[in-house]
Amino acid sequence: MSTPLESDIDIWSDEIVVDPYPAYAELREQAGVVHLPKNDLYVLTRYDVIRDALGDPATFSSTTLGFNPMVNEALQGTSLASDPPMHTQLRATLSENLTPRALRGLKVVIDEKAEKLVAELVAAGSFEAIDSLARAFPLEIVADLIGFSGHVKDNMLRWGQAAMQVLGPMNQRTQESFPIAGELYGWCSSVKAEDLTPGSIGRGIFDAEARGDIPEGTAGHIIHQYLGAGVDTTIASIGNIVALFGRHPEQLEIVCENPDLVPAAFAEVLRYWVPIHIWGRTTTREVEIDGYTVPKGAQIGLLIGAGNRDPRHYENPDTFDVRRNPTDHLSFGYGPHGCAGQGLARLEGHAIVSALARQVQSITISEPVRVPSNMTRSIESLRVLEVVAA
Amino acid sequence: MSGRIELDRPRCEGHGLCEEAAPRLMHLDDDGDLVIDVEEVDGADLEAAKAAVRVCPVAALRLVSA
Repeated sequence: MSTPLESDIDIWSDEIVVDPYPAYAELREQAGVVHLPKNDLYVLTRYDVIRDALGDPATFSSTTLGFNPMVNEALQGTSLASDPPMHTQLRATLSENLTPRALRGLKVVIDEKAEKLVAELVAAGSFEAIDSLARAFPLEIVADLIGFSGHVKDNMLRWGQAAMQVLGPMNQRTQESFPIAGELYGWCSSVKAEDLTPGSIGRGIFDAEARGDIPEGTAGHIIHQYLGAGVDTTIASIGNIVALFGRHPEQLEIVCENPDLVPAAFAEVLRYWVPIHIWGRTTTREVEIDGYTVPKGAQIGLLIGAGNRDPRHYENPDTFDVRRNPTDHLSFGYGPHGCAGQGLARLEGHAIVSALARQVQSITISEPVRVPSNMTRSIESLRVLEVVAA
Repeated sequence: MSGRIELDRPRCEGHGLCEEAAPRLMHLDDDGDLVIDVEEVDGADLEAAKAAVRVCPVAALRLVSA
């Protein structure tokens, strides 16, 4: 066994977070684990290594899933930052309303909203896809679902973005986002049942607290997690759907002709352009990874997007191919901490892909504009210049 | 070679990807709960069972060698 190789890459530099795939390829070819002294971090780069780490919470603890001590401190006691067995109970409460079973009744509503929104945009002939689709759609769905209205709904985008950004290292982006993330935190620690729409999931969490199913004072934490996790990631995915179909018209055509490929196409969007760059863990013991020894207590960064493009696992990984159906992609994580909202994300993603495939023959897009971000890789603006209706 | 499919029921959230991978071996019932229809598998079923275990997003399924 030997000490991991080093790289002088700064994984949070502006150039890399905007276009991470060349750096991912370089690190992945170096080894399954690479030490980044600039970030004081060991990154996992290959599919199998990442998946094994996600499936082994006893060795790879979630207590430092963020990359600065302040945010990790703030997250203690949440489902996200805890390990089994504590995690198991918190997760059950968090995911109870988000399981595909609980969401079954929503499919029709979500599909209808997607069809209507896409129809309006197709009729307009040209549009800005991020504000009018990628942001508009999940905001509407998540706000209704959790029961947000008024100023909370108006702030969801800012708050959701900041909640992700502060998970990064203590760089300028993190520092600027802390006050905004603090607004969300403050609101969540004082929110009451009656602030949320009757019949909503958020209201249901307060009912669970009143029944004693979850400890007193924890309903706000769960609502915080719904908002923090469910907004920015979905916006990134939907923006990516539009950009990838704009860039690969033949792939949109394939889905138009084979509507059965809608789930496969969404899985491929998530594999090809991962919504979340990196996720943190800490080693609870000295551990051998890919033949190298990583010390106990090391900060680990799981490079999800690097694993999704690992040629050891996917053939021609740099090709966007809607027929691939990569159901085992890493973008939702895997195992005990696998994305709790993935059922809802699939409903939303499938609804958008399906509405586009049904109503659009082709789109002409401008170059997507991306801005640097610590955790999520999303498109800031994307002009659809022309739509040819189906 | 043969094997047995085991379900960690509390962990299952009903995502249903396993059902798509191995429709002959398991299905979600009307309540959205997973039912393992064939537990002991070999031959082509073994391959399908492996695929189902692989796609479970929350690692609720495993295959034990018989």
